Amino acid sequence: MSTRVLGQSLPKKDAATKVRGSRRFPQDFNMEGQLHAKAVWSEHPHARVVKIDTSGAEALPGVVKVITAEDVPVNEYGIIVQDQPVLAGEGDKVRWVGDRIAIVVAESEKVAREARRLVEVEYDPLPVVSDPREAMKPEAPLVHEERGDSNVFRHIKIRKGDWEKGFAEADVVVESYYVTPYVEHVYMQPDAGIGYLDDEGRVTVISSAQWPDHDLRQIAPMLDLPKDQTREIVPAVGGAFGGREDMHIQHLLALCAYCVRRPVKMVFDRNEVMIRTGKRHPWYVKYRTGARKDGTLTAVEIEIISDSGAYASTTVPVLEAGTSFAAGPYVVPNAKVDSYAVYTNNAVTMAMRGFGTTQSAFIYEMQMSKLAEALGMDAVELRMKNLLEDGSIGLTGHKMPQGVGIRETLKQVALAAGWKEEQGRWSKPDLGAASGPHKRRGMAVACGLKNVGYSFGSDDKATVGVQLALDESGRIARVTVLSGACDVGMGAQTFLAQMAAEALGVDYDQVRVAMVDTTKVPDSGSCSASRLVWISGNALVRACQAALEKRDQILMAETGETFVEAEFQFRGLSVIDTRPYDPETGMTDPHFAYGYAAQVALVEVDTETGETEILKFWAAQDAGKAVNPAMVKGQAAGGVHMGVGYALTEEYIQQEGVPKTRHLADYYVPTVMDMPHEFTSITVEVPDPTGPYGAKGVGEMTTLPTAPAILSAIHDAVGVWIDEFPATAERVWRAMQTKK
Amino acid sequence: MPTLEMILNGKEVSAEVEPGDLLAHVLRDKLGLIGTKISCGEGECGSCTVLVDGLTVTSCIYPAMKAQGREVTTIEGLATGGRLHSIQQAFVDVTAPQCGYCIPGMIISAKALLDENPHPTRQEIRTGISGNICRCTGYYQIVEAIELAAQRMAEEGGAP
Repeated sequence: MSTRVLGQSLPKKDAATKVRGSRRFPQDFNMEGQLHAKAVWSEHPHARVVKIDTSGAEALPGVVKVITAEDVPVNEYGIIVQDQPVLAGEGDKVRWVGDRIAIVVAESEKVAREARRLVEVEYDPLPVVSDPREAMKPEAPLVHEERGDSNVFRHIKIRKGDWEKGFAEADVVVESYYVTPYVEHVYMQPDAGIGYLDDEGRVTVISSAQWPDHDLRQIAPMLDLPKDQTREIVPAVGGAFGGREDMHIQHLLALCAYCVRRPVKMVFDRNEVMIRTGKRHPWYVKYRTGARKDGTLTAVEIEIISDSGAYASTTVPVLEAGTSFAAGPYVVPNAKVDSYAVYTNNAVTMAMRGFGTTQSAFIYEMQMSKLAEALGMDAVELRMKNLLEDGSIGLTGHKMPQGVGIRETLKQVALAAGWKEEQGRWSKPDLGAASGPHKRRGMAVACGLKNVGYSFGSDDKATVGVQLALDESGRIARVTVLSGACDVGMGAQTFLAQMAAEALGVDYDQVRVAMVDTTKVPDSGSCSASRLVWISGNALVRACQAALEKRDQILMAETGETFVEAEFQFRGLSVIDTRPYDPETGMTDPHFAYGYAAQVALVEVDTETGETEILKFWAAQDAGKAVNPAMVKGQAAGGVHMGVGYALTEEYIQQEGVPKTRHLADYYVPTVMDMPHEFTSITVEVPDPTGPYGAKGVGEMTTLPTAPAILSAIHDAVGVWIDEFPATAERVWRAMQTKK
Repeated sequence: MPTLEMILNGKEVSAEVEPGDLLAHVLRDKLGLIGTKISCGEGECGSCTVLVDGLTVTSCIYPAMKAQGREVTTIEGLATGGRLHSIQQAFVDVTAPQCGYCIPGMIISAKALLDENPHPTRQEIRTGISGNICRCTGYYQIVEAIELAAQRMAEEGGAP
């Protein structure tokens, strides 16, 4: 399809103000007469709150109010299940160190900070359960007595074909045990904002967020207000990665404004973001894969135990998504999968780039790398042999829709990295000499796929509006796009503007995208699930078509009107009628649409220190149609960055529910020096017939293959499999000593 | 309360500060320059980087009174009127910013580098921004932007 504005690397709408430092993030807003708030956090991972004494804090000059549980009209919230107290009161339980006891509101941040130390809380500590495998046992202490007699709150079963027969037919069986780490999002902009009552008396929050309308669906009942008496404004957001899908601060700001009727500003310290906000789920996984000598997969058997931490958050959909991709982009005729979501007193675990499919990509690709070794087969060739195609039957018995791009993506990345193909036989390139006597080189490939949009019967929808200002001759002079799609950095404003310009036949500069304010823009759903290009794009293109039709009617009727407005709601279920897992067999049609990635890592491991250096990296991602190629490249590089941290350095450590990695200094986010020295991004375009202009989501897919590619390359270099990662220098060194 | 007097982005300014105040807070809260971002608050991530007498400092841990009588440059001091500094323009042109929160600090580090070394190698650029953490971009487009800025500044004779 030939396009005019789409497919151009146009400058991002927000780039100029971001490089000037003038674009405001939530902590950059101030209001006349504002107060400052600080939270009093739980000191225990599991305890009963016996007594809360706020008198010392209240006596401090400058303290306006100490808000406690009694001040919260309906003291519960949660993105799906309302299992979290806003504030834990006397007699309530705290279930992790991110629970709050009180919020201190004061005339200055300094006083608020001092006053929170003066709130005295007496606790009755309870037994802590910090390992989900222990938490599953009948005798384990219960995290939520009120929610049944087990810490297990979801068991997903997939029973496909005859897996026993599948294993019996296998010539090779690979069996492993994996542990994936707790990971923090580390968005650079700490949660912050202001709560106030707007001119119409609405409880209003200016904050970072990923889905403002859904925040209000939690805030309004919490305050016992109708939703239209609440409002959220989302300015520039400094990264999210799933970490702002749950409310971390929005509800607290709303509560402050509701209680004191004055503007209240609250800014989290990095330390609060580190230890009081949600993380990526650790998985404990038993995985068996069977294959014939020729590489054909015959069966998988998988058990996944997901540490959900103290509250449900999005654990269930994360586990559902991850489980649905547990066999990867491969045809697996026989499968038995059991996945468990388990409460513990660890940090809440929630959405994070990949939404469960990052963990699955690690486990299925490590299995494929091991299988290739066991079969003595090239790693690309083994994967090529088993890849899903259009119409293939996936793990949950569904037929893959048109536009499966994994073969092309894998092919392009392998060829770019130097693989050779001759009549279906693939061979790996020579890696060249290592840079020193203690260095060993290794190279490996990995794939990944993920759903676009919400799955399993969710009525995922986006509403987008468009306004046209016409000149006297009826030509479009200016365009405004109205969408609740938050731009958390990935460029939502830019791709929406490009799509609108393309659909309306105007220039990019004529289009502006309105700021997200729930009273002014329609609900476009969350900025997550790699869904915005696909679902908001679909809505926007249709809204533009409707606006053009209206414009033509105005011109025909010669009414002289110069303003046209149209809105469209696009529902994912109009494309594919997805369904929940069948409770017994797991069979379902799970997802609307898919996106794909494949990557290759060339590493050098120091045999004396165990340290891994990534020399070269190739990342291919199937964008369907790249709306803005420079932004797609940015997504690829950013996804790889997060994957490098996941593979090698990042680990959020807790002992018995007590956080040990409390600062950025203890938690190693890769710097520029830790990144692959050379990076090649390849954007593949296998159109998705259901996507706008053929576009798919790419944001999350780009991080899926990174860790298994790097860890398989480490094995290629020094012969050790690091199945419990990150593969820190120490872990690699120790594994090498054991192997000796 | 002591008075801090400094040359901020070329202009003499003064502010009443308390002894424990840090430069980032004075810039943001007392002088209204919100371009200097605070992310870790412990000098680890570089988001708050500003120049003091031409050298980079992490202003979130830099006592404000240490800037007494010195020249301080923040991100607001780079563009001249409507015209972006070459480094800023290059960041726009290669789509370097994603969320943009680390970008002011990143650009200040790049300026310090290019002021001292107008023709850096790629490795020198990497070293120059190694104290600035970015969570979105993987750094490649940032490095490209700095390379492009250096090239343009050389062509334009060094002036931004």
